[in-house]
Amino acid sequence: MKRGLTIFVNIVIIACIIFFISVYTSQKRDESNHHELVVFQNTAETAGQVITNYLADEQHLCDIWANYINNYASSSGEPMTIEEAIEFTRRASISDEVAANIVYYDDGSFKGLSSEPSLKDADDYSVSYKGFSLFKDFSEDDLNKEIRQTAAFANPQNGVPSMAFLNTVTLQGENPGETREALLMRIIPISEISRKLVYLKGEYEDVDLAIIDGDGEYMVHGNQLKNANLFEYYKSYNDTDYQSQQAFEDEVTGDTGLIEITDSKGQSAVVAHTPATSDKDWFLINIIPKSSLIPDVVDWVLLGGTIGALAALLIFNMVVMMLYNRRLAVAAEEAEKANAAKSHFLSMMSHDIRTPMNAITGFNEMISRESHDPEILRYSEGIRMADDTLLGLINDILDFSKLEAGKLDIIPAEYDLVLILSDLVNMIRVRAEEKKLSLKIDIDKDIPRMLYGDELRIKQCAINLLSNAVKYTAEGTVTFTVGYEPSAEDNNKILLKISVADTGSGIKQEDIENLFVAFKRLEEKKNRNIEGTGLGINITQSLLSMMGSSLQVESEYGKGSVFSFVVKQEVRGTEKVGDYEEAFRAAMESKGRYVQSFTAPDAKILVVDDTPLNLSVFTSLLKATEVSIDTAESGREAMRLCTEQVYDVIFLDHMMPDLDGIQTLHELKALSENKNPDTPIICLTANAISGMREMFLSEGFTDYLAKPIEFASLEQMLLKYIPEEKITVGAVTQREDQPLPGAILTIPELDTDAGMSHCGNVSSYLDTLQIYSAGSEKTAEEIRSLWKEHDLKNLTVKLHALKSTSGVIGASDVRDLAADLEKAGNEGSLGERGDDLERLLSSYTALAEKLTPLFTTEGKEESLPLIQAEALQQVYANLLQACEEFDYDTIVSAVEELAQYRIPDDEKERVDAICRASDDLDYDVIPELIKEGRREGQDE
Amino acid sequence: MRRTNLHRVIAAAILGVFVIATASGCAQTSKDKPFSPKLDTNADTSLTVYGNYSNFEALESEFERFNEHYPNVNLSYIYLDGYNDTIANSLLSSEAPDIYCTFNWMWGNPDCADIFESAADLSAPETGIDFSCVRDGVIRKTDNGEILMAPVLATSFGMLVNTDLFEKEGLKVPKTWSEFEMACEKLKAAGYASPVMGYVSSESGSLEYNFAYPSLCNSAVSNPAMRDSFNELDPSAGELMRPSLEKLKELADDGDIDIEKCENEIEDNYNAAIMRFFEGDVPMLVCSGDVASGTKKRESQSESFSASPFEYRFYVVPFDEKGGFVIDTVAMNFSVNKNSPNLDMAMEFMRFLISNSELGNMASVKRLITTTKDFSLDSMYSSLSDTPKDRMICSTEANINDNAVKQFRYAAHHVLVGDMTVDEAIASYGNLEE
Repeated sequence: MKRGLTIFVNIVIIACIIFFISVYTSQKRDESNHHELVVFQNTAETAGQVITNYLADEQHLCDIWANYINNYASSSGEPMTIEEAIEFTRRASISDEVAANIVYYDDGSFKGLSSEPSLKDADDYSVSYKGFSLFKDFSEDDLNKEIRQTAAFANPQNGVPSMAFLNTVTLQGENPGETREALLMRIIPISEISRKLVYLKGEYEDVDLAIIDGDGEYMVHGNQLKNANLFEYYKSYNDTDYQSQQAFEDEVTGDTGLIEITDSKGQSAVVAHTPATSDKDWFLINIIPKSSLIPDVVDWVLLGGTIGALAALLIFNMVVMMLYNRRLAVAAEEAEKANAAKSHFLSMMSHDIRTPMNAITGFNEMISRESHDPEILRYSEGIRMADDTLLGLINDILDFSKLEAGKLDIIPAEYDLVLILSDLVNMIRVRAEEKKLSLKIDIDKDIPRMLYGDELRIKQCAINLLSNAVKYTAEGTVTFTVGYEPSAEDNNKILLKISVADTGSGIKQEDIENLFVAFKRLEEKKNRNIEGTGLGINITQSLLSMMGSSLQVESEYGKGSVFSFVVKQEVRGTEKVGDYEEAFRAAMESKGRYVQSFTAPDAKILVVDDTPLNLSVFTSLLKATEVSIDTAESGREAMRLCTEQVYDVIFLDHMMPDLDGIQTLHELKALSENKNPDTPIICLTANAISGMREMFLSEGFTDYLAKPIEFASLEQMLLKYIPEEKITVGAVTQREDQPLPGAILTIPELDTDAGMSHCGNVSSYLDTLQIYSAGSEKTAEEIRSLWKEHDLKNLTVKLHALKSTSGVIGASDVRDLAADLEKAGNEGSLGERGDDLERLLSSYTALAEKLTPLFTTEGKEESLPLIQAEALQQVYANLLQACEEFDYDTIVSAVEELAQYRIPDDEKERVDAICRASDDLDYDVIPELIKEGRREGQDE
Repeated sequence: MRRTNLHRVIAAAILGVFVIATASGCAQTSKDKPFSPKLDTNADTSLTVYGNYSNFEALESEFERFNEHYPNVNLSYIYLDGYNDTIANSLLSSEAPDIYCTFNWMWGNPDCADIFESAADLSAPETGIDFSCVRDGVIRKTDNGEILMAPVLATSFGMLVNTDLFEKEGLKVPKTWSEFEMACEKLKAAGYASPVMGYVSSESGSLEYNFAYPSLCNSAVSNPAMRDSFNELDPSAGELMRPSLEKLKELADDGDIDIEKCENEIEDNYNAAIMRFFEGDVPMLVCSGDVASGTKKRESQSESFSASPFEYRFYVVPFDEKGGFVIDTVAMNFSVNKNSPNLDMAMEFMRFLISNSELGNMASVKRLITTTKDFSLDSMYSSLSDTPKDRMICSTEANINDNAVKQFRYAAHHVLVGDMTVDEAIASYGNLEE
């Protein structure tokens, strides 16, 4: 899962959790809010009841006082004087907080006496409300209520904000019989009322209390309520119109209820209102900021903590993921590096193995062609088999590499099943015979012959199974069964069934799984003598998987196994495989010793390789075909030749210094003087690693030929690309070999056996040595020049070539030194190996100096071995025969052989004449010269 | 005489600033240093302010601003009915305020001596209160140089003019006495029974007082010697009232005011006066700045005004052909109870309040005139800026004490309602009764 998607999923999950918490807490909050409001209203109502009761009680006490004073007249005969009445209130009052005032209202003066003296004057009990607005609109009608209390005022005697409960009393006037009407005021400090509600403040810390009258005027009010009137306060801080204002006023002066307003600080506040008197002329107002009343039950700490924790978790996960990803990236990078190193190794191994194998295969081919000695041919066959095995191992590894890299494609094409079966049977037959195993072939004759699929891969799978069967069967039978059944899904397709049964060692049930593990070889100890990489079944399974199939295994340990698979193939045509025996016999008949299949003397090809040795192998392999071969050791030389000659095919090596094969190809294509614009160009490469083929074809090569070059492949390639009219089908003659000159054998730096084994015959070896020595001066100079210019890349290529050529001629010291330095070049440390390079050049030059005189005509005769008379006569005999048979190659070889010896003086002139005739291609003269000599000898 | 001249110079300088500031039409930016709390800003205490304004939103807005610095200080304003008679006792009580309102009329009044007994010296260096921002003319100091009350709101005397009505009647607001008389004539002709209205009473804030007091101040400033006798209630000094009383008599005699109508329709000098003015048929309402300050809030309370709103402004009442007199007087002072258990915090609040910005803010909310040097007038008072310098008088310069003012109020009322002639009123000076 990509990081972005992971983060997105995490965020979505977190969002869902937060959403759930929010919804849940919101629901809880609503419930809690409602509950809080109900509780607040109930509390306010209770407070209202407390106030109501308190006011009623105080009023009741006031009324008792008034009744007593008023009833005094009926008991004593005349009303109390104001002084007596005040004195009575002093006696009746049990609280220091309660005061009494009696003021006359009958004259509108509102002056009278107080039960308490003025704080300013302890003797002054007189009181006047003249400057007060308290009784400004006084009317006796106002006293017709159950409770008759005033608004808040400053007690004139002590200046304390107070309120008074009223009743009227009739007092004795100044004159006898005169009565005065006065107001009895039971005065309570406002703070007393506040104290009655202190519990409410304890319940709600931020609550503010007020008592208003029906006009909204504050009788009592706290700090938060501004203005002098609640209604004015509401209007000041709320967006109102006439209706809403009226609605507010009606609501507040109605029954108990709640209303939300905006307070003076602009915050939402809840007002709980309830009548404070039974007459509903005063109302208790409880106002509290909504935020205080309704605690934020959305537990922000919990929510924030949850969000924080989730975010932290997300970040932690991301960090951990990042760290793991980083480690994975490092591991992947290392794996990639390792894979790249592996690929590089495989490439190098492929190249390095295939390069000498090219020589092995090529020269072994030459041996098998040119030698008639049965013993030599047996050796040659041994080499071929080892060669095949080695190539098989390499190919397995390369296929595995391709599969791992995902670069192995299934390429379907139409094919002839009979040919596949023929190849398979031929191949396995030999191996079975070698192990003296019985091979049973069971092929359904009705299988459609022409099919559409990847024949190579099907064949590869079958070969793997057959090879394994033979390998792991010590005695008994290997049964190869091929059948089919029509596809149920598609009439045009069949299910091709291939099965290989053996009577081998079998596989333990617990080991069957390990069959498919790469590089895993079962019972390694027991099977240590059996060659293999352990990749075969793994590759087979992978290939089958790519073809929509799978390998089935049935095995009984100790008794044998059956490996089978079924692949769906499209049918092309109606022809059946028929009698396979016939095809088999035909194949058997065609089997035999290899004979050159064609000649093409009019064909002309160009081979480009920076390694003269490879050029030598190439030309040797094709010598019998009589194809005219031009060689070039560099891309530039090839380009020059292409402007001069027209070729039928061009073979172009991939790895060359300066211009490599691909660059040469591109430049050739762009070259206007190129006389070969349409000539097929085949890439020669030892880099047979996966993907190379596709790369070469995409670069513009016509085809691709892997080293070591298999002659059959080369022949196929030539037959494919040389125009038919230039090809003549027929066998060519073989020729005998000759002994190696003694001078060569005395050079200690040369392992001539190795050289001979690489080159196949003396002639090729000598040719190779001559090329080696001839190019030494130039090569050494180029190496020095590249070193001087610090062109390490091309220097490495040069060292590779030197390693290769030195290995071919058996100069193992030079080869090893060059290989070591090439490795350093590939690893990037060549720049530090100046001393070793000098040592290499020294050895190389020394060897070349020893070889050069052997191939130099001038002044070398003295050092050459004197040819024996018999040997000379034999050469003459060979020459005569070759001339009679027009075997020009033998003529040239013979002449070259003569050049290796010091010729006796009496024959020197004749030999020189023969050499000149050979150089001038005047082969008719040679028999004459020889016969002339014989005649002279007879005369003597 | 030299002292009087000095006062005139000071007053002229102050009002010069007043005029320049107003004429320039731009509010001066405060030059205050930012307020920096001296006490623990986490102090949890309560301050109570007692006053006689039933509604004091301007102060309450200052509470909120102070709470920005001291969030845990609980400030409350308590209106005391009967404030003038009870504040002295309140200061002695167990529920004494920390800060209380004081008024210029209390200054020098023996009956109010107790009130200032409890007042702390606001000029003491330890208070840190800087009065340099306050106009010198409005500050009262004891002989010892103590400042026992800090002027926090200023006001003036004049009339509210229904300018739309004037415009409708094709009249200009009168600037001279003859223009005033002419306008009244035209208005009467147009059917306005009482072109001039107000609260007719002998109380402070009455029409008589607001109409005549500015010219009395002018007389007092012009004749300081007689003023001093006037303050002593010397009957011979009653002559000081003559120009004012004659003008008042002229107003009544010319029928520019229907006294009975005023008495019947305007029950007090504040709410009733404003609401009557908002009826829309009162061309001129003689009142103080305090009344003008209450207009805005009551606009919405008046159904008539809400139905037919009109433009109105505060103007000086013309006295003669040179115009009228602008009196720079204090509407309210604050004193700090020196016995307050929260004296430090009370002083801290005063230190906070006495600044160009806070006093300016309070005046703006109250729609009164700031007591600071750095002020600009509310648009309602913009006409005052046209007043010539020699027509601007600081009340401290006039220096008429409260007893003398009371006598003047009684005289003015008697003359207006026709109880006394001007001569009788002057002759009765010192013995006048309500």
